[in-house]
Amino acid sequence: MKSSRIKTSTRLFGNVAQFREVIVYGVLFCISGILIVTFSLISAQFATLGNFLNLFRQIAPNLIAGVGMTYVICSGGIDLSIGSLLAVVGVLTALVTQATKNLFVIIAIAILTGILTGAFSGYFTAFHNFPAFIVTLGTMSILRGIALVLTKGFSIPIDPSHPVIVLGRGWFLGLPVPVWIAFIVILLSGAFFNLTPYGTYVAGIGSNEEATRRAGINVKLLRFYLYCFNGAITALAGIILAARVAAGSSYVGQGFELSVITAVILGGTPLVGGEARLLGTLLGTFVLSLVGNGLIMAQISPYFTQIAEGFILLLAIVANRDIRLFIQRQLKL
Amino acid sequence: MRSSQELLKLKGITKFFGPVKALDNVDFVVYTNECVGLVGDNGAGKSTLVKIISGAVQPDAGEVFWCGEKILLTSPNKARALGIETVYQDLALCDSLTVAQNLFLGRECVSRFLFLPLLKRQLLKERASAVLSDLKITQVDVNKKVRDLSGGQRQAVALGRAFVTSPKLLILDEPTAALAVGQTMRVLEVIRELKNHGVSIILISHRLQDILEVCDRVCVLYEGRVVGEHIRDEVTIELLAKLIARPKEKVDHEIVQD
Repeated sequence: MKSSRIKTSTRLFGNVAQFREVIVYGVLFCISGILIVTFSLISAQFATLGNFLNLFRQIAPNLIAGVGMTYVICSGGIDLSIGSLLAVVGVLTALVTQATKNLFVIIAIAILTGILTGAFSGYFTAFHNFPAFIVTLGTMSILRGIALVLTKGFSIPIDPSHPVIVLGRGWFLGLPVPVWIAFIVILLSGAFFNLTPYGTYVAGIGSNEEATRRAGINVKLLRFYLYCFNGAITALAGIILAARVAAGSSYVGQGFELSVITAVILGGTPLVGGEARLLGTLLGTFVLSLVGNGLIMAQISPYFTQIAEGFILLLAIVANRDIRLFIQRQLKL
Repeated sequence: MRSSQELLKLKGITKFFGPVKALDNVDFVVYTNECVGLVGDNGAGKSTLVKIISGAVQPDAGEVFWCGEKILLTSPNKARALGIETVYQDLALCDSLTVAQNLFLGRECVSRFLFLPLLKRQLLKERASAVLSDLKITQVDVNKKVRDLSGGQRQAVALGRAFVTSPKLLILDEPTAALAVGQTMRVLEVIRELKNHGVSIILISHRLQDILEVCDRVCVLYEGRVVGEHIRDEVTIELLAKLIARPKEKVDHEIVQD
């Protein structure tokens, strides 16, 4: 009986890892379904196309930053500075829009800022082997401070007729522009990490850095680039967010890193690294946003969202471990 | 075996760590297509000797010859370039990667697309399977993640990975130390298979029965000196044990170098 079950499951899923992936995704789909049904019963406006498109527009920055965070966590690292980076990029974007209408310049400045801050964190984590947790905690404080200095605590408005606004509020072929941008970022990054050997190297670093180094891979440089990449695409998320709210504020993005990390962990990427689950991150982001959006629709104070998010993060960590144990027990590995 | 060529020859190797003489005027030879066992108690100098051969440590005195030519092994990369590969006890495998990914980590088969290297997954798997079947490693699925493998299978994958680099000399550090009996047998078979593919092997082990199982020759180190060098057929486990533990006591077959 037991052996036949083992045979079927391994035939279906090839190996334990795939089996686990299927379970994680299945659970996330079920949770999404339950949440959607529950919130539609509570609020009539919830299950409408308008609400969902709005939802997707809102989570576009989280989806984009989630891509970077997935691979950073996969490499065994973490980046806590992305929320502050969001604020700095937003503020810079707002400031630059006062000087130029050139979208290319605005995007270039934002992405350059992202790359530089990523390089800053990456330099200390990759080349000096300081724990990413502490380094990016420092970067987080520095960036938040820079945003405060630049704005003196005020919000800098962006002219609603400025072309950059399209990046946050525009529509293209029936979908919000931020959703398109997120889609392209996800597609390109996913393709890059899955089709080239670099995805394997990143997972190798997260799994056994010394072994990866001995295999002749420049792990320090790769880790450095990874933080730069994460900074760059988080900067992109920052422009979109600033364009959507038509302002740059030093208070933007507080708790953003927690949301993104929660989504990544919820999606099945192990916190210790070694594996990346990009699709899981997208599903995790969606589930989290459903919770937040649903709570608002149900007219529950948005303050509860943070409490819910914290609990979900802890649950996700426990579930991640328990799902693995469960499968190992089932397959007798 | 003695008739074959000298692949690696160490002459008069001496190494100090501070005041400690780790190696004292050691002569050591590996012939082509030969498996040499290196035995000795903890602290006898085995690790230092293989570190010198793998380029990780430089000797204070002595000469190294590779295929008859005098060389300086100044770095692990230099040793690797010559075809000297080491499989350490920690195996250096990535748990979360598949067997195929581990076998070809850093040497993936790729095609170029603009400036990007694109993985050829199918070819990678086929080549990984080919490597494993070459070494008669039958029970390992290349699609499995390494963390789902048993200790013996991991060891086999580590050996396969060393084999992928087509080494001339393979240094194996305690490959059977943590394995069950059945797994040990399988790993020894892989070692034999490596030898059949023309690879010379230096096998370090505390398990003397494993040494006698696969090695053509055994070299015994004691306190940094070579105290015995024997053809397999002229040695027994009891004799080796005596040499390793109490070399000063006279043993009939002892051939003290120098």
